[in-house]
Amino acid sequence: MTPLVFPRWTNKLRVLAGVLLGVAPLYVIVLVWYGASPKTTDVGYMPKQPVPYSHALHAGELGIDCRYCHTTVERAAFAALPPTEICMNCHKSVRTESRNLLLVRESAATGEAIRWVKVHDLPDYVYFNHSAHVTRGVGCVSCHGRIDQMPEVYQVKPLSMSWCLECHRAPERNLRPPSEVTNMTWKAPEDAVVYGRRLRQRYAINPPTDCSTCHR
Amino acid sequence: MPPMTDDRTRPSFWRSLAELEGESEFREREKSEFSREFEEAGDGQPDRRRFLQVMGASLALGGATTACRWEKEEVLPLSSRPEGIVPGEPRFYSTSMELDGIGTGLRVTAVDGRPIKVEGNPLHPESLGAASIYQQASVLELYDPDRSTDIVRRQTGASGANWGDFDNWLRGAIGPFRSRRGHGMAVLAEPSSSPTATRLRRQLLSSMPEIRWVDWAPNNRDHEIAGAVRAFGAPMRQLCLYDEAAVVLALDVDPMNPARPGALAAARALTRGRQPDQTQTMNRIYSVESCFSMMGALADHRLALRSGDIAALAALLDARLSARIGARADLGPPQVEPELDLLRTERCSRFVDSLVTDLLNARGRAVVVTGPRQPPQVHSLVHRLNYLLGNVGRTVWYLAEPDGSAAGPGQVSALTGLVDAMRRGGVEFLCILGGNPVLDAPADLDFGAALQKVPNSLHLASYEDETSQKTTWHLPRAHFLEAWGDTTAWDGTVSLAQPLIEPLYGGRSIIELLSILIDGQAKGGRQLVRETHGQLPDPVFRKALHDGVMAGTAWPRLIPSLRPLGKLNLAEGAASSDTLELVLAVDSNVYDGRFANNGWLVELPDPMTKVTWENVVCIAPNTAARLGIADGGRVHLTANGHSVTVTAVHAPGQAERSVKLALGWGRTAAGRIGGATRLGVPAAGTNAYVLTSARQGLVIPEASLRATGERTLLATTQDLHAIDQYGREATNARLGMIVREATLGQWLSHPDFAKTAVHHAPLLQMWQPPVSYEGHRWGMSIDLGKCIGCNACMVACQAENNVPVVGKEQVARGREMHWLRVDRYYKGTPDQPEAAFQPVPCQQCENAPCEQVCPVGATSHSHEGLNDMAYNRCIGTRYCSNNCPYKVRRFNYFNFHLDLEKPENQVKKMVYNPDVTVRSRGVMEKCTFCVQRIERVKIQAKNVRRPIAEGEIVTACQQTCPTGAIVFGDLSSQQSQVSKLQALDRSYALLEELNTRPRVQYLARIRNPKPEST
Repeated sequence: MTPLVFPRWTNKLRVLAGVLLGVAPLYVIVLVWYGASPKTTDVGYMPKQPVPYSHALHAGELGIDCRYCHTTVERAAFAALPPTEICMNCHKSVRTESRNLLLVRESAATGEAIRWVKVHDLPDYVYFNHSAHVTRGVGCVSCHGRIDQMPEVYQVKPLSMSWCLECHRAPERNLRPPSEVTNMTWKAPEDAVVYGRRLRQRYAINPPTDCSTCHR
Repeated sequence: MPPMTDDRTRPSFWRSLAELEGESEFREREKSEFSREFEEAGDGQPDRRRFLQVMGASLALGGATTACRWEKEEVLPLSSRPEGIVPGEPRFYSTSMELDGIGTGLRVTAVDGRPIKVEGNPLHPESLGAASIYQQASVLELYDPDRSTDIVRRQTGASGANWGDFDNWLRGAIGPFRSRRGHGMAVLAEPSSSPTATRLRRQLLSSMPEIRWVDWAPNNRDHEIAGAVRAFGAPMRQLCLYDEAAVVLALDVDPMNPARPGALAAARALTRGRQPDQTQTMNRIYSVESCFSMMGALADHRLALRSGDIAALAALLDARLSARIGARADLGPPQVEPELDLLRTERCSRFVDSLVTDLLNARGRAVVVTGPRQPPQVHSLVHRLNYLLGNVGRTVWYLAEPDGSAAGPGQVSALTGLVDAMRRGGVEFLCILGGNPVLDAPADLDFGAALQKVPNSLHLASYEDETSQKTTWHLPRAHFLEAWGDTTAWDGTVSLAQPLIEPLYGGRSIIELLSILIDGQAKGGRQLVRETHGQLPDPVFRKALHDGVMAGTAWPRLIPSLRPLGKLNLAEGAASSDTLELVLAVDSNVYDGRFANNGWLVELPDPMTKVTWENVVCIAPNTAARLGIADGGRVHLTANGHSVTVTAVHAPGQAERSVKLALGWGRTAAGRIGGATRLGVPAAGTNAYVLTSARQGLVIPEASLRATGERTLLATTQDLHAIDQYGREATNARLGMIVREATLGQWLSHPDFAKTAVHHAPLLQMWQPPVSYEGHRWGMSIDLGKCIGCNACMVACQAENNVPVVGKEQVARGREMHWLRVDRYYKGTPDQPEAAFQPVPCQQCENAPCEQVCPVGATSHSHEGLNDMAYNRCIGTRYCSNNCPYKVRRFNYFNFHLDLEKPENQVKKMVYNPDVTVRSRGVMEKCTFCVQRIERVKIQAKNVRRPIAEGEIVTACQQTCPTGAIVFGDLSSQQSQVSKLQALDRSYALLEELNTRPRVQYLARIRNPKPEST
């Protein structure tokens, strides 16, 4: 049997091959770790919506409270998107000819739903409950960012499990009095963590970290 | 377990619905089960993007354009949201379901406009908060893709006819009959006690008096009503107050079988008298029956006797009791004691002596009851016995049957008359409202052939079933969850039924069709129901609709006067001593066949035999040995000149020389689960209706059985026999540790027998438990004395937790997915066994063997004591299931929801509970103590900063259990019911010697047989 003999020119490549073999896995791991993490894949997600609704205009400039449209956020798991009739509360007399609002007027007339694209989408096996957070003093801005400055909504936070757990393990960083939940510009009167600790004690906030908290 | 054979003559099994629907597709998928994923990894679009992204220079190149995201999800809010509707949150509505003329009140959960879960209505006297297997499974029927979606007009072969076409045709067709006062027209309907249906029927018959109206159901009450007429001169129904009875005698009846009216209330009442903890007393139940039923399992004394011989036993009882009680002229002469050898066996004599003594001691506090199988004379005699014992007016009352429904010679007679008329050409227009007479009418009438002679016929049905394939019109029927209606309970309480969803396929209900027949106007169900109760002002009507019951509508309890009975004809119905009796009964799961396409019910194990996916003929082991029939062997069963081939099972407790076969299987036009010739789906089970005849009831005195020599693989969830002798001995030795029970006397002298039944070393632990339980401590207590084995908890769990149906072959491999199973254990000898049931959910062990071995940490212990399962983390090593001593973990060997990809199956998605993940393949699942319900209540309570009340969280199994055997609650509070139950002396943990520290504890069963000494 003839011995396995490589061509001579491969001798020069030995070192290079060794380096690649050592470095490539690390490179792939780092790329996947950062490239496939929700921080990369989800942050900044700004899908095109059927109606160019601008939160910057309505929530920011006009100062409409989040709960005027997202009415169920304090009672239910879903912060429901508003039914068209809420839009029509104003828009039956405001900008009644606007082309941007054509789909809204059609929806109100025919009863067909507007097909909004979900921006903050969690996997189906995760059960997030808005009311549990909103009634305890987690502000809208903590997870959704400065919505009142977004002409088109995009995702600001990764909403990954580790990101949720960071807060669950130390909620004091993100707490505010429940009355200030929709205030986008609220700042703690003192150090946020110290203030948060006091709120935590006052409202007995102990976020669970058991699996069944979110996975059912 | 019968050995696996490659017997090619057995029915072909299929692994999943996917296989059924597209054989070639499934084969292809099967071949590339794993390779497909790898292929997609190379070619699929998202992965190319992923590749690009990975190779991208900048790590921040993620985000909008090349993000590797899952499919975009849309949110479609209502254009106009009704007041009070919160998307994603459940709403509860009261309605009711009628089964062969008896209604049960329900409370149904609806999410986003569709009903997903049925519960009982605590205010309804039949339900008292519980729901049976039929009610729990009804929601699956609503979303069955095999339901008929169109009107079919057979003459023209046209589908795509709409209701407008039908209404027009009907107006034309019914004209001549109207002028003839209905002569030549007939209506064949399911029995119904709905006030609206009754009112419309009267209206129809008053405008067209010569319409021949026939009620027909295979599970009819003919014998019972004839017996009452004989005894009282008028049709009466018996109301038994079991919870006030000290002694109950059931003659060939199981009052708790969901096919019986008032089953849920009966189960509750019977078991209420079997809790000795407070009073140290219990009722005593005697059961005489041919086939082992739940009542027989609950009974303290059971005698297996052929159904045809029970009349003789009843006569014997009457003779003995009358002799001791003395003459009662007002009740007529007693029966003469029959001279029959079978009543003189030692077993029978002891049974009768004990029974007579107990009945005499419990005069006025006893109940004697019998069932639809027994001939009318036995019913009359049972009424007499109740009067003789002074029960009437105390534990037994009578209610007058409502007018019209029970008058006449009986349903079989009326049906025979109808078929004769059809055959003669005397019926020109036949309306079949519900039911399936081509399938279930007595076979010797040959309804199908008679139907050919009727020029115009229509069938209003949920499926295009056997009858619909022979009528000229098939009309899709609205499911009870889609329709307005009203029902009457056994005691007369009226319940309204309201729809929770618009008819998915535009079906109509029976009352809506009747309205059209009456005057051609298509009035809606709501209007019809409102008109029936027109005398009620709106607020009262709305309250009745909200509550689910109309207050004060129960019928008055009566004590009619009893007529003297003649001598019982003991030859009638009794087989001679060397022939084989065949008992046909509606199946405990698929009923008379109407649920044959309901996956949850078809895969539900039979309460006693634990067989799924088919019906089997139950033979007593001794009889089988004599006839040379093996367990699982195929046999030819012949009766009334017809023969069927069916699998036989050795059934402990079955009376000798009597065999039982269930009706309702072997259908040819049920659907993809039950069998459909049109779709090429083989029938599940065997059609036993071909053995029925109009002359005889469902007890056929002479039948014959012959082994074919073949055997078949039965899909049972529990083996009837151990693997070998050694295995059987070892199993039997252990059973006393698993199901702990004692007689009342034994318990009174050793109250903690349950705790000391198993001797084991002190249960110590080497390490401190990692979790300290400072908040809630969830636990459960299951009372084995109350569990009757009805399996309602299994179906409720399946409905609540999106548990899939796996198919016969997978069940045969032990891969059924029921999170909660009810084990049935026999005790004693095969011919005189006792039986016990034990529901086994995940025990939520504090020291869980499963948590310790999961390599990826998919299962962990919560701070409240639950064993959590994170499906997305599970990689499917199945080590946890391997380590679980209770074997409560179920593995998804396949993706059982693949059939949802087909457009016609999309409707099945609507039944899923949105609060529970739908699991894919390769993932382990198990009972979670309904953690979605726990979390929902916890969040609601925390939102408004209030504590959780006792009893606020109920698991699905607990909520539906008719007897309240399952109690879930918070062990951290001493006052909670579960804490109190776990503190009882008869509470024990299953396999506690393994130091698993389960949170589920069982209450040992206490029986109350007559003590030997007295």
